[in-house]
Amino acid sequence: MIDALAVSNAILWVVVLALLVAVFALARQVGILYERIAPMGALMIDSGPAVGETAPRFDLPALGGGGVAVGAAAERSQLLFFLSPSCPVCKKLLPILKSIAAAESAWLRIVFASDGEAEEHAAFRRRAALTDFPYVLSAELGMAFRVGKLPYAVLLDEAGRVRAKGLVNSREQLESLFTAKEMNVVSVQEFVTGQAGAGQGTGMGT
Amino acid sequence: MDALDPTLPHMFAALLAIVFLGGAWQKLRDLDGFAMAVEQYRLLPTSWALPAAWGILAAEAVAGLLLLPLATRIAGAALALAVLAAVTLAVAINLLRGRHAIDCGCGGPEGGQHLSWGLVLRNVLLGLAAVLSLAAEAPRELVWLDGLTLVAGTLALYGIYAAANQLMANRPRLLNLKG
Repeated sequence: MIDALAVSNAILWVVVLALLVAVFALARQVGILYERIAPMGALMIDSGPAVGETAPRFDLPALGGGGVAVGAAAERSQLLFFLSPSCPVCKKLLPILKSIAAAESAWLRIVFASDGEAEEHAAFRRRAALTDFPYVLSAELGMAFRVGKLPYAVLLDEAGRVRAKGLVNSREQLESLFTAKEMNVVSVQEFVTGQAGAGQGTGMGT
Repeated sequence: MDALDPTLPHMFAALLAIVFLGGAWQKLRDLDGFAMAVEQYRLLPTSWALPAAWGILAAEAVAGLLLLPLATRIAGAALALAVLAAVTLAVAINLLRGRHAIDCGCGGPEGGQHLSWGLVLRNVLLGLAAVLSLAAEAPRELVWLDGLTLVAGTLALYGIYAAANQLMANRPRLLNLKG
């Protein structure tokens, strides 16, 4: 009798542990699904200056002196990166942005934009080692581009036209902005949807 | 406090040791990320974030190690309670400030867990486990089957802990999807 109970107990433990592993794996997969279902590429929020339109012109003082012209014709394209010191995803993207800035310096200039107290941002800029980059504070700039959620990025070409924009949470989404510019599409989202809609599913995922 | 069956205090001590040592290990692997999370709690001057991160990590590791041998279990449980009380207070203060969208720094799945009252409840339950690990043991002769109960029971409790953490980490992602 006691032996039978011991055996049954052991079997039950094995079953309980197996089920717990399954529950954990399922919860993890659900979490991954939640992330993947989110639109591919930088999510475009459909307001503010449309892609192809000329961006509103701003002449803003940069932190640490000097000025930054946004939306003006320039030698290089401009990536406006809207961030805030209190946004962890923004911080996660900073090293990626720095490496992009170094690799693409021939055609791209990265401008950091935010709003709020200059002192807090100056301290953040020093800590995050962003002193090599133009950093502007302007609530009007954010409003002109209808920046809702952070981190938000806008890619302007040499002529000051908006070429791509959207909420960016990862390196892939940041790169999708450059891809959108290269391929001359409004957003990678639209490109993928258009392909799938036309039944030309081949070659996707490149 | 009433005496508990001897397997239960051992089980709770082993669970806490795994949770604390595992937590310390994950924080050590991404120390910069953890220091950034500590800074985000906005309770300490910025320059203290890294030392505070090291302090929490060390306290966690020591508490986990002290919980394992019977001789030092009281010290381990006390240190574990102190760490839990400190971090839970930090979470609660930020929740009351409305800063729930910051990374909790728990070192969970991809470090993506935000602050929530669920986290506070989780820590209260861990605190309860720390108290129960010191409970008096009812006199009973331990047999080989207790070994199985102890190992499997500890693993099961840890499985529930890990699943609960994952579900808490999923919640903001789901809310994000709903818009």
